[in-house]
Amino acid sequence: MKLFLRIFLWFLAAVLLMVGVVIFITRTFQTEPMESRWQRSVRNQMSIYGGTAAQIAKTQGEQGLRDFLSRLTDVDTPRRVALISADGNTWFGDPSQFDDSKDVVARSLSSGGVETDAPADDVTYGASPVGLPDGRQFALVLKWERQPSPSLFFGSWVGYTRLGGLLLTSLILCYLLAAYLTTPIRKLRDATNRLAEGELQTRVETRLARRRDELGDLARDFDEMAERIESLITSQQRLSRDVSHELRSPLARLNVALEIAKQKANPETQPILDRIEIESQRLNDMIGRLLTLARLESGAEEIENNKVDLAELVRDVAADADFEARAKGRYVNVSETDRCAVVGSENLLRSAIENVLRNAVRYTSEGTAVDVSLTRENGHAKILVSDHGGGVPEPELPYLFKPFYRVGEARERKTGGIGLGLAIAERAVRAHKGNITARNHNGGLQVEIDLSVPKS
Amino acid sequence: MDRILIIDDDEELCELVSEYLTVEGFSVESVNDGESGLARALDGDHDMVILDVMLPKMNGFDVLRNLRQKSKLPVIMLTARGDDMERIVGLEIGADDYLAKPFNPRELAARLRAILRRSVVPETAGGNEALDVDGVRLSPASRSATLEGSELSLTSVEFGLLHELLKEAGKIVKKEDLSETVLERKLSPYDRSLDMHISNLRKKLGPRSDGGDRIKTIRSVGYIYTVV
Repeated sequence: MKLFLRIFLWFLAAVLLMVGVVIFITRTFQTEPMESRWQRSVRNQMSIYGGTAAQIAKTQGEQGLRDFLSRLTDVDTPRRVALISADGNTWFGDPSQFDDSKDVVARSLSSGGVETDAPADDVTYGASPVGLPDGRQFALVLKWERQPSPSLFFGSWVGYTRLGGLLLTSLILCYLLAAYLTTPIRKLRDATNRLAEGELQTRVETRLARRRDELGDLARDFDEMAERIESLITSQQRLSRDVSHELRSPLARLNVALEIAKQKANPETQPILDRIEIESQRLNDMIGRLLTLARLESGAEEIENNKVDLAELVRDVAADADFEARAKGRYVNVSETDRCAVVGSENLLRSAIENVLRNAVRYTSEGTAVDVSLTRENGHAKILVSDHGGGVPEPELPYLFKPFYRVGEARERKTGGIGLGLAIAERAVRAHKGNITARNHNGGLQVEIDLSVPKS
Repeated sequence: MDRILIIDDDEELCELVSEYLTVEGFSVESVNDGESGLARALDGDHDMVILDVMLPKMNGFDVLRNLRQKSKLPVIMLTARGDDMERIVGLEIGADDYLAKPFNPRELAARLRAILRRSVVPETAGGNEALDVDGVRLSPASRSATLEGSELSLTSVEFGLLHELLKEAGKIVKKEDLSETVLERKLSPYDRSLDMHISNLRKKLGPRSDGGDRIKTIRSVGYIYTVV
């Protein structure tokens, strides 16, 4: 939306600026020269009329001059005519119309030539001396009242309509343009988000992919990329699933064969066979977890929408973990459990909490307790599991949830972990749109599971 | 000698299991696909079936579903490890127990014995009299149960659990005790099979006439069959 608004405003600003520039250019380069041209034409007309009037006065006398001036007045042009003496007497014309012409009359009489004057924006006087046969000196004064040149946008309803129409059209066009540019980007973004959330079969809408511009290219590239990622990921997932599955058959046979060997074993070989059994059990656990992880990552696991009592679940798993921990001289201590229920799959949530808890039990120092708490605040359920096992080097914290990640090779081997528990927990929590984070706290590792609690 | 039918497409595994179980005192026959497995199971020559889920021609669930329409022959299912859905579906259709594959053969033998012991009508007295609580009638002699007069189709594990709970109706029965008397194994942490059997049993019984749960869970202790 931000981009949409930005494009919209930029184009709108560009259109408004253009209108401004047009108005400015019209004012400076069209209206101004027009006025100076007008001034010139006033001067030219004045000298023609002045010369003609003087000529007529000389040859045809006062009556001839009066006729000529009447004819001048009658011609349908926006001008008025008067014959005025130096002391302001009007021989011809309406004196009230020539109130402010004294100056130009005086200048013309004293210079004996054509003078012009524009006392106001829309009024221009022109004066030229005319001598009557009786020797009196007058000035022929012409007054032009200029029609203001019509403004493009202001001062009349046509102008305002023009301005309004222009603004409305540009608003609509800018909106359409911005939408045209941003809609495909928004669609691409939606598709990218869905792809990132694991919907691998996401493709951009075909209408977008049919566009013949750069955005269409981008959409087609995106589809190609999604196709490739999907096939890569599914084949990788299928591989890990198939491999794990196929490993099971020989392992099942191995277990049975081992047991038959035990039936026939003598006391000397018995411990070795026991050892083989432990190792095959480990292998078995690992394959089981790998399969769980593969299923969670592929998103094939249907997340049920059951109401799950988190408090009960946490206490349940903690009780089991405590039972297991006590055998190794460690404890699990549930400090508080607020009542809260979330929506999801009980099995997945159980396995998430169980994996985090068993991991903590594995690493906490002998004689210490793993602390578990469940608190509810602001519509979020927060499960905290803290151990006392020395924690994890700070730079390694972000990698804890990666499959097969081991913090300090030796430590993990000794404790018998296989590095999948936290990865499974993370996938399970994420499948519930929750968050899982790890941090060092009080000389141990603290894992926080954050789930949103629906309003009831 | 107890006659066991294994239905699994892994021939080598069948051979090994036969060898192991023969030494343990069972007589074993193996079949490698679902269709012929179902046919053999329906012949009535066996005391118990070990059924794999992934089978050619007809999968394990379909075999079980078809079998249950005609027979109460005890069935133990071999499910993929970590696949809760398979386990739940199997128990829901009417498997008596399940074992995740790869399994420990000792465990398999122990469970076979437990289920076989249960499916045999106990000859001695001792908890053998019929029970009748709130419309649920249980007759250990014929191993049949009815709810408001209509027959309940229970697996042997469900029957055992209901029997134990009804005997102590109104009192808490500990999980540990249920596991030992009915499943004949020690309750281990993270083992959810007891909860699953109870949950299936609850579904089959339905709610009480006043809408309450017939079987209540007492968290991390056990279960109680409530009496009105």
